[in-house]
Amino acid sequence: MTDALLKMCDITKSFPGVLALDNVALEVARGEIHGLVGENGAGKSTIIKVLAGVYKADAGTVEIDHATLPEVTPRSVHDAGVRFIHQELHLVQHFTVTESVFMGQEEQTIFGLNKRVMRQKAEDFFETALGTTLSGNTLIRDLGIAERKLVQIARALIDDKAKLVVFDEPTAPLTSGETDKLFTAIRKLKEQGIAMIYVSHYLAEITGICDRVTVLRNGQNAGRFEEVFDDSAPAMITAMVGREIDELFPKTEHTPAEPRLEIEGLSADKFEDVSLTVHRNEIVGVAGLVGSGREDLIDTIYGLSKPHSGTLKIDGVAQKFHAPADAVSAGIALVPRDRRHDGLVLDMSVSDNINLAALDAVSNWSLESRRAANTVATDMSETLDIRPRNIAATSRLLSGGNQQKVVLGRWLNKGADIFILDEPTVGVDVGAKVEIYQHIENLAQHGVSVLVSSSDPGELIGLCDRILVMLRGKIVAEVSTANLGVDELVALTTGGATREAAS
Amino acid sequence: MTQSMSTKLLAVFPIIVFACLFVYLGVQSATFFSLGTFELIAKQAVPTVIVALGLATVVIAGGDDVVAGGIDLSIPATAIICAAIIADQLTNQGNSLVFAMTLAFGAAAIIGAINAFLVVGLRMTPLLATLAMSVAIVGVTKVITSSRRIGVTDETIIFIRDGDIFGIAASVVMTAVLVVIFYHALHRTKWGMNMQATGGSRDAAEISGILTRRFVVQSFLIAAFAGWIASVFVLARGSGSSPGTEENMLLEMVLATFLGAAFSPRRVVTLWGAVLGAVVVSALSVGFISIGVNVFWTGCIKGGLILLVVASAAVASKGRS
Repeated sequence: MTDALLKMCDITKSFPGVLALDNVALEVARGEIHGLVGENGAGKSTIIKVLAGVYKADAGTVEIDHATLPEVTPRSVHDAGVRFIHQELHLVQHFTVTESVFMGQEEQTIFGLNKRVMRQKAEDFFETALGTTLSGNTLIRDLGIAERKLVQIARALIDDKAKLVVFDEPTAPLTSGETDKLFTAIRKLKEQGIAMIYVSHYLAEITGICDRVTVLRNGQNAGRFEEVFDDSAPAMITAMVGREIDELFPKTEHTPAEPRLEIEGLSADKFEDVSLTVHRNEIVGVAGLVGSGREDLIDTIYGLSKPHSGTLKIDGVAQKFHAPADAVSAGIALVPRDRRHDGLVLDMSVSDNINLAALDAVSNWSLESRRAANTVATDMSETLDIRPRNIAATSRLLSGGNQQKVVLGRWLNKGADIFILDEPTVGVDVGAKVEIYQHIENLAQHGVSVLVSSSDPGELIGLCDRILVMLRGKIVAEVSTANLGVDELVALTTGGATREAAS
Repeated sequence: MTQSMSTKLLAVFPIIVFACLFVYLGVQSATFFSLGTFELIAKQAVPTVIVALGLATVVIAGGDDVVAGGIDLSIPATAIICAAIIADQLTNQGNSLVFAMTLAFGAAAIIGAINAFLVVGLRMTPLLATLAMSVAIVGVTKVITSSRRIGVTDETIIFIRDGDIFGIAASVVMTAVLVVIFYHALHRTKWGMNMQATGGSRDAAEISGILTRRFVVQSFLIAAFAGWIASVFVLARGSGSSPGTEENMLLEMVLATFLGAAFSPRRVVTLWGAVLGAVVVSALSVGFISIGVNVFWTGCIKGGLILLVVASAAVASKGRS
C-alpha cells in the first residue's frame, strides 16, 4: 500500500430528504496530486466540507497521518496541516501582497508590526515555494487574477505547517495563460512533498496535473484511477455520467422556421465572438461550466450588461438593448437562474407576479382592474397547474417548481415570443420538472423561439434541437442533439474532447 | 491604458482643486502663508482632528461603503454632550474636573456601547443607527443645559486653551500625541491590521480567523472615546459648552475623513488622511475668513467640496473594478 496521508472512510452525510454522501471513501497519499471529479451534485463539495469541518458527517472516520481525528472541526483540521484554497479569493483590494499573506497571522514585536521581516518572508515564499517573483509592496488590486490566486495560496501555506492543500476549482476565473502560472506553483509544491486534492470540472487539467483521481457520482464512489494518462478523460466521463437520459422529455421533432433571434460576433467582458441563431419553433441550448461565459452571454442578450461589440437582430432588425425593458418590449422573456431574487417579487401574490409584466392589458386609464388581473391569473394557474390553486397566495410560500411556473406564467401572459430560460429547473423537484419541460415544448410548437442555458447536460440533450457549447468565453462546438450522448456533451464542456482533437 | 490614466487623474482631482484654492487664498491674503496663520489653523483644527480620528477608526473597521460600511455620525454629538456634562459639573455643581470628566466618560461609554449594540447586535445600518443616536444625544444635551451656554473657568481647561508646551500651543501638542498613539495602534500593530482587514473584506477577515464582530464593536467604543477627548478641546476653544456647535463639527468631520481618502496613496480612509483632511478643512475656514468671504457662503462651498470628493471617489472606484 502507498503511504496514505489522508484516509476518509465510509463517510455518510444526509440533508433533509437527500443522501448527499453514501459510504464515500477518499484516500490521498503523501506528496501526490489527487483529482476529485464528478458532475454537479455528485457530492464533491459536500465531502470537501466534511473534511473542512463545516459539515459534520453522520458516519465515517477521517484519518490524517495515521491518526484518526477525534472530532473534525475547522480548527482540528487546520492543526493537522490541512489547508483550503477556496474558489473565491477573499482578498482585500487595497492591501499589499505582504499584508494579505499575513492577514490574521501578523508578526509583531513590542514596537509594533515587523513589516520588513514579513515582507522578506512573503517574497522568499513566492520565490522558493511557488517559483515566482512577486513584490510584497504591490497592491492586490494591481495584480492579475492568477497572481491573486498565488497570494491566496501563500496565505494558507506561509506558516510552513501545511501537509495537504485542497484546491476548489482554482482555475475557474483564469485564462489559459494564467492557468500555466498556477500549475507551475502547484508542481513546485508537489516537489516539496505537499499533498493536494484538486477539485475541478476541467478534465483536461485533471489529466494534465493529477497523479490519481477519485470519481464521485450521486454521492457514491464511482471509480478510482490509480494512474492518469492524457487519454483518461473519456473513461472518467463514463464513470461520472454513468446513466442514460431519463424518460423525462416529451421530445418531438421541430421544423425550425425563419430565423427569429440572430446574434453575430457578440463580445463582452467574459465572452468573445459569440454568434448564434434561434429560429421559430426551435429550442436551442447553451452548455458550459460555471464561468464559461454562459451566464454573461444570457445577461448581455437580455440587456442586463452591455456588449463591447457585435450585433443582435430580431426578425432581421438590428436591436440595441440598454436595459431589460428594451428586451421585453422587443418580445423577449427571461426566466432567470435566480428566480427568488430576479424572477419573482417574493412578497407579492401569485396574481400580482403573473400580471407584473403586462399590467397595461388589465388596466383602464392606468388603473389596474383587480377583477381582470385575477381572471388572467386564475386562467394561467389553471393552464400551468400552479399549486396551491390560490392566486392570492404569497409567492414566497410556493415550492421551487411552482414558483418557476409563476415566472413562466408571467411571460406567457405577456405574450413574449422569444423565451430565454436560464437554469430553468434548478431546485425543482422531478414532477414539476416534467411539467416545465412540457410547457417549454408547447412553446416551441406554437412558434416561440426558445434559448435554454443549463448546467445539466441531460436536460439540454432531452429538451433542445441544437446545443452550443461554451468553454472559457468562446463557443467551441455546435452539435445536434440527435444521437448525442451525455458523455459526449460533458467531454465538450469540460475541455476533455478539445484536448483529444488537439493532440 | 487611457482609462486607467483618466481614473488616476480623477482620483487626484480633489487634491488639485484644494491646491488651487490655497494658492488663491495665498494670493488674496498676504498673511495666509505665515507661521501665525498656521498656528491658528492648527488650533482651530484640534476638535475636528480628534473626532475625525474616531470616524476614521469606524470607517477602517466597517469598510468605506457609506451606507453599508462603517460610519458614526454621533461622534460630534458625543463631544457636545460630554462638554455639556463637564461644564455643568464644573460651573453649576461645583465638582472637580476629574469627577466631571469621569462622569462624561461614563456617558461616552454608554453611547459607544449602544451604537455597537445597534450595529452589531441588531444589525442596523450604521448610518441610520448613529444618525438617530446623534439626534437623541443632542436632545439630552438640551435637557442638561436648558439650551444655554455654560461658561468654564477651570485652570486646566484655560491652560489647554492658552498654554504652551515647548513654545507650541498646548492643545496642538496634546492632539499630536493622540494622533501618534492612534496611528501606531491602527497602522503599526497586529490588532490594527486585523481591524483594517475587517473593514477591507469581512469575509476575507473571517476566513483568516479574525473575530470581525469584536473589531466593529471596538471601533464604535473608540469613536465614543474620541468624542469624549474632543469634548475637552471643545470646552477650551469656546471657554465653555455651547449647544448647537455639533452641526458644523459633523460636517467638518465627514469632509475631513473622506477627503483624507483622496490624499492617501491607496485611496482609502486612513488616520493620516483624516488628520490632514481636518487641517485642510480648517485652513479653508480660516482662509475664507481672512479674505472676507461671507460666512453664509462658506457652508455652501464646504458642502460642494464634500460632493466633489465623494463623487470623484465613486467614479474612481467604478473605473477600477
